Amino acid sequence: MKAESNLKNVLTQHNFAVTAECGPPKGADPVVIQKKGDILKGYVDSVNVTDNQTGVVRLSSMAACAILRQEGLDPVLQMVTRDRNRIALQSDVLGASSLGIRNILCLSGDHQSFGNQPQAKGVFDIDSIQFIQAVRRMRDEGLIIGGEKLSEPPRLFIGAVANPFADPFDYRVVRLGKKAAAGAEFIQTQCIYNLKRFAEWIRQVRDRGLDRKVYILGGVTPLKSARMAEYMSRQVAGMDVPDNIISRMKGVDPKDQRREGIAIAVETIMALKYMEGVHGVHIMAIEWEDVVPQIVEEAGLYPRPETSRE
Amino acid sequence: MITAERKPLAEIKAMLAPYRKILVVGCGTCVAECASGGEKEVGLLASALRMDAQIEGRTIEAHEMTIDRQCVYEFIDKLTEAVGRYDVILSLGCGAGVQAVAEVFPKTPVVPALNTTFIGETKESGLWVENCRACGDCKLGYFAGVCPVTRCAKGLFNGPCGGSKNGACEVDPDSPCAWQLIVERLDSAGRSDLLEAIYPPADWSKQQGKGPRKIVREDQRSES
Amino acid sequence: MDQISAGLNITIFFCRQLDINQDKNRRAIEKELGPRVRFFPLPCSGRIEPLHLLRAFESGADMVYLIACPEGACRYREGNLRAKKRVQYAQKLIEEIGLEGARIELINKTAAMPANIGAIAKELLARDAKVSTSAVRSK
Repeated sequence: MKAESNLKNVLTQHNFAVTAECGPPKGADPVVIQKKGDILKGYVDSVNVTDNQTGVVRLSSMAACAILRQEGLDPVLQMVTRDRNRIALQSDVLGASSLGIRNILCLSGDHQSFGNQPQAKGVFDIDSIQFIQAVRRMRDEGLIIGGEKLSEPPRLFIGAVANPFADPFDYRVVRLGKKAAAGAEFIQTQCIYNLKRFAEWIRQVRDRGLDRKVYILGGVTPLKSARMAEYMSRQVAGMDVPDNIISRMKGVDPKDQRREGIAIAVETIMALKYMEGVHGVHIMAIEWEDVVPQIVEEAGLYPRPETSRE
Repeated sequence: MITAERKPLAEIKAMLAPYRKILVVGCGTCVAECASGGEKEVGLLASALRMDAQIEGRTIEAHEMTIDRQCVYEFIDKLTEAVGRYDVILSLGCGAGVQAVAEVFPKTPVVPALNTTFIGETKESGLWVENCRACGDCKLGYFAGVCPVTRCAKGLFNGPCGGSKNGACEVDPDSPCAWQLIVERLDSAGRSDLLEAIYPPADWSKQQGKGPRKIVREDQRSES
Repeated sequence: MDQISAGLNITIFFCRQLDINQDKNRRAIEKELGPRVRFFPLPCSGRIEPLHLLRAFESGADMVYLIACPEGACRYREGNLRAKKRVQYAQKLIEEIGLEGARIELINKTAAMPANIGAIAKELLARDAKVSTSAVRSK
């Protein structure tokens, strides 16, 4: 069993990290996960598995992570506080560690009203920052919320998310600081299309010295079409797709738009690579995982570093 | 105040189906203020029920009474004399009122005419907004008088989620992002230091720890 | 067929500001038609309550009119605008029990209409009946 997080090793050995996102199926078929894992294997350092993203019921993130582990990948378990109270969350943290999962990404989660169970009770017993703090304490001090001792602490590399494009803008970096103080070790950001605003945010991050406290992985989502760009710009809150990106997508023939989307993603990654304070990229190719190897290669990030493994 | 909204007439009718003589009871406090269960609304509902029965060729008797408060025994007692003459009490009180009336008159069925909705504020005429969840552990002092438990769709204690845009909440763009308000107000009050603090997990036992909560104040209790 | 010939009972709420001689001007119709037409003067149409409208039907009305000043010409500024919303609310309530919302109608006086409530009422009564007798009183 791989004892350490590959992602952690890649980052601590000063490599520019590459992670990708894998969405589990809306069904019980493990083969879907295995296939996605096969596509990504070797091209990324770790694979995030979303946790009932947008409040839509899918195969559990924990199970999918376990399957990816078996396939030899290093999974990042995404866990939202929307669906579980602190008892279930802490229990699943222990469970994840026992299955050999070595990375966790703590989020509050999309509100249940957006998904296919809008009548569900949103739990939100604790928020993402409180969750980060709880996991950190479990790992470092072997204590759960309330102070009881664990027989064996979980071994997890702890991550959180940041959205540089949401409001209030100046508070975004304060919030990142809180996540770092709570115990987050790596950060994956919302998809970046507005590099200017992202650069402004990362400057604020550097000013506060946060880039030396946490590893920051910039989020990249390749656009499939001009329509997708417009949809994300208009319909998805907290997403900033500037007009120049939309018009660039619109400017090419629909059959070539995917190609253009890939080109934008690669250019974004190249820009992030040379941005001080950015330690890697997180590629979220939504239901388009098979494009990830191409993007990684074109961005000059292949092959991935071999880290020391047990 | 406690706010409420009237149930659809069909739902009320279904609950009243077995009964002919109905005592329609309003409450003159919170639900009167939010125009769902006061004297006027009792009149409207009783009138609608009577006409509806007439249209369907049924005969019912719907008598209207409104008491000052349905959640306090002294006021509920004003119904005592009348209750015996009716098959059912249709209460336009909040959930507390309905239960208090049911407790006082265990032999008479009590059915609710309202859906009790939230603790809120009359923002303007005809607009009521929720701003308290009665969590039992008020932290408004740290949040510039804006309750994140109630007014943030995710109840976040440590800042806005990624869905805050132009001051609006992504869950309901007609609602302001509570955290945008908190950040602005703390900034303008010179208390942005509070924004850096990490708030620990809430103690929900103060809200729902051992089932229904109660408050006991010996100095207020009578000897008998 | 006009509404009286169709056998309808009509209730008319109206703003007193429309006709300073309303008391006198409605008397002829009241005398002629008796309880089939009932007038209720209001100090302003904005004083109408949904309960007044429901009670009218409960008391046997088939059609209820609320006559208000022209929009923009309310003495109390927004009385007739409030009246409009109250009428809409009452329409929803009567629709819940199966009565047509059209049984309640808000009439905003126009310049072409006489400043005489009796004359206005006559014009209304002469209109074609849009509804039949209400199920509330016909059973």
